[in-house]
Amino acid sequence: MTNFVKSLIALVALTGLALPAAAQEQPISLAGDVMMVKTETNAAGESTTKLVEPKTIVPGDRLIFGTDYSNSGSDAVENFVVTNPLPAPVRLASDADPELSVSVDGGKKWGKLADLTVASDAGEARAAAHADVTHVRWVLSVVAPGAKGRLEYPAIIR
Amino acid sequence: MRMKTQRTIYFSLAILPLLTLFAAPVHAEGVSAGSLIENTATATYDDGDGPPKTVDSNTVVVAVDELLDVTVTSLDPGPIATNPGQEVLTFEVTNTGNGPEAFELTANPAVGGNDFDTTIDGIAIDTNGNGTYDPGVDTLLTGPETTPVLAEDENITVFVITTVPAGAADTEESDVELTAEAVTGTGAPGTTFAGEGVNGVDAIVGLTGADDTATGSFIVGVTTVDLTKAFSVVDPFGGTSAVPGSVITFTITADVTGSTSVDDLVIADAIPADTTYLAGTLTLDGNPLTDAAGDDAGEASTTDIAVDLGTVAGGNTHAVTFDVTID
Repeated sequence: MTNFVKSLIALVALTGLALPAAAQEQPISLAGDVMMVKTETNAAGESTTKLVEPKTIVPGDRLIFGTDYSNSGSDAVENFVVTNPLPAPVRLASDADPELSVSVDGGKKWGKLADLTVASDAGEARAAAHADVTHVRWVLSVVAPGAKGRLEYPAIIR
Repeated sequence: MRMKTQRTIYFSLAILPLLTLFAAPVHAEGVSAGSLIENTATATYDDGDGPPKTVDSNTVVVAVDELLDVTVTSLDPGPIATNPGQEVLTFEVTNTGNGPEAFELTANPAVGGNDFDTTIDGIAIDTNGNGTYDPGVDTLLTGPETTPVLAEDENITVFVITTVPAGAADTEESDVELTAEAVTGTGAPGTTFAGEGVNGVDAIVGLTGADDTATGSFIVGVTTVDLTKAFSVVDPFGGTSAVPGSVITFTITADVTGSTSVDDLVIADAIPADTTYLAGTLTLDGNPLTDAAGDDAGEASTTDIAVDLGTVAGGNTHAVTFDVTID
């Protein structure tokens, strides 16, 4: 029985489901997913967008990366920070929330994109662009017991 | 032991309205087909019990599929000026997709509006990369004529070897189309070939339709020279009889016609038997030439005359005259 449960836990951990490694001690769980934004234009020229499973994706396609968080514990947690490195093949979409906290230097310095700069080849600083973003993060001061929510960022495949 | 897996999915409604602003640009140089997009979020927090805790999300993984795209362009600066015979058109084929792909090539000499049609002798790849067709080095492809597998953004130079028919007349034009089609498949943008991309990802037709066509052109430049020879006689008595002592003036007219030019045009003539060249009478277009060789375009001797006109463009006429006396 014990061995069976252990191997089951190992299996679940390998498949990457949103199971805390030590279930009793981690009240917070994160579950990631990705959806593709599909724009379809009907015969009347009206376009509609919908979220679909990313079955076939090519450069230029738009993805929404989402992370569901929940506090399944009995106590509130504080200083809750969710950090998400951007996968190298994507760039942050230009209509991402301008208030989103981002980093353009691998997570050393954080701020709104409009407040960040990057060094150009000539050594002079230039304003950071969406394609420069390496990380995004969300900061919540408190997550109450039983609270849950969803964090999302839009990205374009480079 | 308590195990609990919770996946609650509901979308942030605040973000959805922004999606309508979006129109997906497609980049010719996208990330490579088969690239993995792996996303993991990490949370840190304080639970009031010891140091901050860290927890990772699952990692979501999606593979980038293969876009099938190609462009074909003519590398010739304009219509190739040609004579009947074998001629070569030069094209460039570029894999603008994001994965390795080979392309089948088709040359079509029967293009609407042609004044005449060429025949296609073959299609060759510029194997040594010098931009010039080298027979025996750049060997002809055999059917189906297909490029090697091109990496993403790789381009190759393709030669279409044609024969311009003998009947092609001056200033007539003819187009030849070269079409490249992705071997995996072509179709409307978005057409998907499941599992046929690199590493088993899907292949999907891009905005080019996975095929492209470019046109190369010929313009025939046949320039001809017509020579006509005329003479007039003045006898010693003021008449026009051909008697000993009469002076014959020969006029040789070179009429050059055509859209191009002729090189090294020399008008030469022998002094007729029983006549004697009248020294110092050689002229070109009314201007006197010396009999000596080398000092101007003309030279004359007791046996023959020659005038070197050099390169003469179509549409020009030149006249050479010289006088002889009847012995």
